[in-house]
Amino acid sequence: MTKLTSRRGLLFGAAAVSAGAVLTGCTSNDPDGGDDKPAADTQPAADDKPGKPVTIGYAGPQADHGWLNAVNEQAKKRAEKYSEITMEITEGSNDTAQQIGQIETLINKKVDVLVILPADGKALTQIGLKAMRAGIPVINLDRIFNSPQAYRCWVGGDNYGMGLNAAHYIGEKLKDKPNAKVIELAGIDNLELTQQRTQGFDDGLKNYPNIKKVARQAAEFTVESGQAKMAQLLQAQSDFDALWNHDDDQGVGALRAIEQAGRDDFLMVGGAGALSAFEAIKADRGVLKATVLYPPTMAASAIDLARALGQGKGIGGLAEFEIPSTVTCYSAVVDKDNVDQYMSTGFK
Amino acid sequence: MTQHVSPPRGGTDKAAAVEGPPAWRVRLGRADVRTLTLLGVLAALVLIGGITQPDAFLDTRNLQLVLTQASVIGVVTVGVTFVIISGGIDLSVGAIVALASVWATTVATQEFGFAGILFTAIVVGVGCGLVNGVLIAFGQMVPFIATLAMLASARGLALQITDGRTQVVTVPSVLDLAERDSYVLGIPPLVLVFAAVTVIGWLVLNRTTFGRRTVAVGGNAEAARLAGIDVRRQRLYLYLLSGLCCGIAAFLLVALAGSGQNTNGNLYELDAIAAAIIGGTLLTGGRGHILGSVLGVLIFTTITNIFALNNLQSDVQQIAKGAIIVAAVLVQRRTASTH
Amino acid sequence: MAPEPPLLSMSGITKSFPGVRALDGVDLEVQAGEVHCLLGQNGAGKSTLIKVLAGAHQPDTGTIRWRGEDVTLRSPIAAMRLGIATIYQELDLVEHLSVAENVHLGHEPTAAGFVVRGRAAKASTAALLKRLGHPEVDPGRLVGDLSAAQQQIVSMARALSHDVRLIVMDEPSAALDPDEVDNLFRIVADLTADGVAVVYISHRLEEIRRIGDRVTVLKDGRAVAGGLPAESTPTREVVALMTGRNVEYVFPERPPGPPAAEPVLKVEGLSRQGEFAPLDLEVRPGEIVGLAGLVGSGRSEILETVYGARKAHSGRVLVGGQPLRSGSVRAAVRAGLGLAPEERKAQALLMLESVTRNVSVSAMSRFSRGGWIDRGAELGAARTATRELSLRPDNPAVPVRTLSGGNQQKAVLARWLLRGCRVLLLDEPTRGVDVGARAELYAVIRRLADEGLAVLLVSSEVPEVLGLADRVLVLREGRVVHEAPARELDEHRVLDLVMEGSPAS
Repeated sequence: MTKLTSRRGLLFGAAAVSAGAVLTGCTSNDPDGGDDKPAADTQPAADDKPGKPVTIGYAGPQADHGWLNAVNEQAKKRAEKYSEITMEITEGSNDTAQQIGQIETLINKKVDVLVILPADGKALTQIGLKAMRAGIPVINLDRIFNSPQAYRCWVGGDNYGMGLNAAHYIGEKLKDKPNAKVIELAGIDNLELTQQRTQGFDDGLKNYPNIKKVARQAAEFTVESGQAKMAQLLQAQSDFDALWNHDDDQGVGALRAIEQAGRDDFLMVGGAGALSAFEAIKADRGVLKATVLYPPTMAASAIDLARALGQGKGIGGLAEFEIPSTVTCYSAVVDKDNVDQYMSTGFK
Repeated sequence: MTQHVSPPRGGTDKAAAVEGPPAWRVRLGRADVRTLTLLGVLAALVLIGGITQPDAFLDTRNLQLVLTQASVIGVVTVGVTFVIISGGIDLSVGAIVALASVWATTVATQEFGFAGILFTAIVVGVGCGLVNGVLIAFGQMVPFIATLAMLASARGLALQITDGRTQVVTVPSVLDLAERDSYVLGIPPLVLVFAAVTVIGWLVLNRTTFGRRTVAVGGNAEAARLAGIDVRRQRLYLYLLSGLCCGIAAFLLVALAGSGQNTNGNLYELDAIAAAIIGGTLLTGGRGHILGSVLGVLIFTTITNIFALNNLQSDVQQIAKGAIIVAAVLVQRRTASTH
Repeated sequence: MAPEPPLLSMSGITKSFPGVRALDGVDLEVQAGEVHCLLGQNGAGKSTLIKVLAGAHQPDTGTIRWRGEDVTLRSPIAAMRLGIATIYQELDLVEHLSVAENVHLGHEPTAAGFVVRGRAAKASTAALLKRLGHPEVDPGRLVGDLSAAQQQIVSMARALSHDVRLIVMDEPSAALDPDEVDNLFRIVADLTADGVAVVYISHRLEEIRRIGDRVTVLKDGRAVAGGLPAESTPTREVVALMTGRNVEYVFPERPPGPPAAEPVLKVEGLSRQGEFAPLDLEVRPGEIVGLAGLVGSGRSEILETVYGARKAHSGRVLVGGQPLRSGSVRAAVRAGLGLAPEERKAQALLMLESVTRNVSVSAMSRFSRGGWIDRGAELGAARTATRELSLRPDNPAVPVRTLSGGNQQKAVLARWLLRGCRVLLLDEPTRGVDVGARAELYAVIRRLADEGLAVLLVSSEVPEVLGLADRVLVLREGRVVHEAPARELDEHRVLDLVMEGSPAS
């Protein structure tokens, strides 16, 4: 199981990026070039060779967060790699009505494929349906629409998996320690993704009866709230062995609080995959030992899927004639051993 | 000519009963009651904290922590209290803190070190306050609208500057401010700044002509104008003052969080207004208390602290916060309706 | 006493607020079809009593019998259902709604229970307005666009839109011109002829004599006299009951001749279009100049323009020979002008503040250095100024809102005294000041003049202008129609002038 999922992670995470790197002729740390080969010569699978021209409409939200910024960047850069791809990019907006208008415009322009990261998945379901009915296939990125009819393919991260993998990583590190204590610094509490991450983390910890979660506080994905909540957690828990923090952005604040409290008696696992977290892991000077990915490269993958869709092909490495209908990106654990491979995907 | 004879009072006792006790004593009593109520709430919270978490709560480090957490929003609240006393409102404080913190932590600013960051934070804060003040005092805009517009623009500009990225502070002298090594006699420098702003704010409100004019403008702007006070200039100064407090707060936040982010200062406006109101400042203007506001901030911060120490989740914290605001306003209404 | 029970009988009503016993066992009996006048100084308990009657306050003890039956007036709506309507002094109309909407507010004629039938509301409103003698008020107009007198008519129409048996009127004539007052009295007479009872509150004894049937006098929360005959009770007795002392309603003596000094205030060709025509006047130190005229004659506007609170369209104001910057209150104050405005609470006082702070607000620079207030000096100065005016209570730390109307006015005067002003502009200085305190206020004003202040006085009460001023300018529709020493005028002559408008001599 683990093996299979990690393979999928390679496919849609690192491999996708490295494939782009090959195309531009940069030296790359390509882990395994073989993955990019078509599964069978008879199948029309998308590869890096220029194919039929495709116009992709891309509608994302306002990049008010480092991760979203990285998503938009990944999509743009990915499209630039392919000479036959034309991108129609809307100005990012957090306003549902405005985003609907922007997508209407893209539909009217008759783009070949739409890639949509909705400001609000539920609220934009109708416009997804409209595009599909108009014959424009939709790649739904990350925030999922209400109805599967509103998209041809959904690509997104695995929040539950983040919690699960964080728990496994911590569990393995602490498995020999009796009565080990962990604490959790969660994200915005009224978001479903926060609940999923916590659920995954709790389920994962059940495999390690020696470990107990002793405290959980929710921050707001911001540095300020991360610092404030972490400072309180540190005051509340004078002794614990590990911390899982849902988000690397608020982790900047959490690390600041840890530094201010002068604590270094535990290990910390972050979430999402910020460049600052990668650098800290690589340098190995603080409590942060690993972070669980919520890869922004999923946007690049979405472009790949859109391109394959527009050219009527499947994707390399799979036997299918068509692209899948859902792609859940793997929440890989990045630690000192594999951090170099992910460094270029880290977001600021 | 009229005889200036004091009335021969038939039923002197009854007449005295109608006039009531000397009104100044009633009023003084009320002010005291309010402060005492707040102190009582704080004491009750300390008791709850001490009982539920004797080790973690009743601890010097925790006291330092609570006061530090209160410092940033506390400084903002002092400025907001002045604005509310004058009958205005400033919804843009959180956004100004965000913009100032972001502008003060750009790579270019950080090259100028400590002074550059401090200077930028304050100039940006005062600048935003100036825009608010000019729009309200001379553009005759309603404070609610003008500062709402500032909220949107400042947040937008902060986002534009950062692109949503976290700007980490690399100037050690700024970071040191929030480090344990720089505590003065056990008091964090941030808390010292907060205390200084509080004391200065109290003195300005209660001992200076500026404070008097603020109260007069808030109590009755028309009467203030006809008494010869330059109401517009006073309003301008008040929003400048609020902006200045935001600038100082932004600097403290930059030191505390070690970074600038466009999401900083999220909902500060509501926290500051709530603290001012439970502190006894009338939303309609004309009366307010710096110490009450500061106690309000400390009450909120202590609640958050106790909830966190007891590992209660944010939903419960928010409910408690809402309940306290409602209770405070009800108590205030009760004292107000006695006249 | 009529054999059938009185319409309303309140007995032993008490009501306390923290620290204050506002009503202390008040009895009040009102018969159907009578005008029952309620008299009393400010703070005597009149407002509290009518609020109890309107259901706005709940009494602590006491019983209310309505047409012979015990009732509890739990809310204003409950009182209204019984047929008790109240017209407050501060009109409680919604400015942004139309006349018809205001009249039917809360009991709109509806179809199917919720659809407001606007046309029906307008028709019934028009009928009510006609009955009140004001058919010219358009039911569709916004109340905010109406004059004060018209607003009062709307308020009355609202009361009559219910099936009303008792109307409480709180100083209804305060904002009205004489002809408006006549109309009001005609309405009152019509109502009582229909068997409706009116509880009428007024400071003006002459009004009470004209329309009142019986008088109840309140003092210190108690009814010191109930059911006195309104026409025949001597004024002296009424005043004595109200004040608990015998006071002559007299004006201070004037100095023998006009002061010799040069005019300190000179107004040259001052005008505002639509408000008042170009005006010239002079006031010398020690002199009181009165402006007499009806509501709408431009009196208040003139004072406010002189003061810079309104920008003049032409002309100029000179103080001590120096022209003032037009439209700047600060310039006027700096030059030595002080205004005691008509709406004391709204325009002059900081109601939440102490007397000290109200008195010191215009002269803060006198006891501050670098913006730093010397509070001891401030309190001392305020004490001196308020003592000079015999302000009661003799404690400048009390909140100004606890003062009576007359003492609040003294606080405003003390403010300008402390500021060291040279010219006092007084706009309706005795509005809301009870009978007993007026004479004292007149004396204070005269003394200030004797000490060298120039006073420009505006009043709608002709006897006040004639009694207090040295020289009188009679205004009609924004124009001076006559100017003469006060001793050469009498009330009839002035009223003729303001009504008929004989040309100025």
